[in-house]
Amino acid sequence: MRYVRVETEAELLEALDRDGAHLLSGGTDLLVKMRSGLLRPKSLVDPARVAALRGIEGSANALWIGAATPFAEILASKEVAARAPLLADVVRVLGCVQIRNRGTLGGNLANASPAADSAVPLLLYEAAVELRGKRGSRSVPIGDFFLAPGRTVLEHGEYMRGVSIPVSRGDWIPFFHKVGRRRALTIAIASVGGLTSISNGKAVDVRLAAGSVAPVPLRLKSVERAVAGQALDDSVIARARALAAKEISPIDDVRATAHYRREVTADLVARALERARAT
Amino acid sequence: MKVRFAVNGRAVTAEVDAETRLLDVLREDLHLTGTKEGCGEGECGACTVLLDGRPVNSCLVLALQIEGADIVTIEGLADGPRLHPIQQAFVDAGAVQCGFCTPGFVLSVYALLRDCPAPSDEEILMALEGNLCRCTGYAKIVDAVRLAAKRLAEARVQEAA
Repeated sequence: MRYVRVETEAELLEALDRDGAHLLSGGTDLLVKMRSGLLRPKSLVDPARVAALRGIEGSANALWIGAATPFAEILASKEVAARAPLLADVVRVLGCVQIRNRGTLGGNLANASPAADSAVPLLLYEAAVELRGKRGSRSVPIGDFFLAPGRTVLEHGEYMRGVSIPVSRGDWIPFFHKVGRRRALTIAIASVGGLTSISNGKAVDVRLAAGSVAPVPLRLKSVERAVAGQALDDSVIARARALAAKEISPIDDVRATAHYRREVTADLVARALERARAT
Repeated sequence: MKVRFAVNGRAVTAEVDAETRLLDVLREDLHLTGTKEGCGEGECGACTVLLDGRPVNSCLVLALQIEGADIVTIEGLADGPRLHPIQQAFVDAGAVQCGFCTPGFVLSVYALLRDCPAPSDEEILMALEGNLCRCTGYAKIVDAVRLAAKRLAEARVQEAA
């Protein structure tokens, strides 16, 4: 295996175009997969010195986070805390100090684990990822980025430049809860995030998303539709709970059973709405 | 391939493969065996070192990724035979049992107390979330952090006076 350090996006494109090339970001998932034999790249391409892939920048319309930005920088960013507070809440419970110092937002997304923590807030904020390849750049809504566990729309030779989070309303009531064996370093059994906006006692806008309960992290659209415009009374929340359990497609695995995941996801959706009602 | 970096203030050059981890270079080439390999997959924190001042798992960093970086291992903390105040606090608080996890814990605490000299219990627990101890439980380790914070604060007051 070769290790290739690149300094510019042009060099990155060229290096990734080679057969068996794999991009190395923070390495916190990749090196584990390589050592267990799940992945055998011919070359690792390290873009850590490509300045364009790193950093956080707020403009009038969006918050931009470079794909190679480590989670520790995202957690320390005032811009993120102010404009995407739910992302900061999620990053705070992602991995641990050591992992957040190396692991990157782009790496977490491109790894495409059904349990990728950072996907849930990005789905809720309706972020887009910017991908670049030999044929140019494209912007892909985060909801279309994941195809299956470990698979995304990234094509051979293509890389993620960054994530763009559109400026959204200021009156969201945020919610995120991850269920795992312990707080730190836990791969979620299930996670639910929500953004709810309440006006005159009614949920005028509701977004809900879940991780670890389907092949890819997903928005709970049927629940959102059922709740939108409604007062969050007990009957609406009971309906939301039932729809959430229907919309997901969890599996049994070493961490939990599908049955448990369904129950706990329904509970978390109810809790998100109850929290919004009480705010 | 050659990699050049600094360890505990000393410039070093090592000949490594693409697969070589920072942990391997530290232990096998530089014989800095205070850095331990526990799980080898970033769960336990026994291999924690400071990379440009920040705690990282050296089992999840390739040697070639640290070209030009500044690494601090547990061997870099003591002043000759005199333990660093954090190390001394671990000894005095009885926060060491088998000792395998201790170097990683001490380096995590070092980064914590540098950035946050008077941490709350919540901040201590968050800073140590990536370090596992399988002997003592964590009560005495947290005691050691509080003791180290107190002693470092006293030392600063004395220095200022």
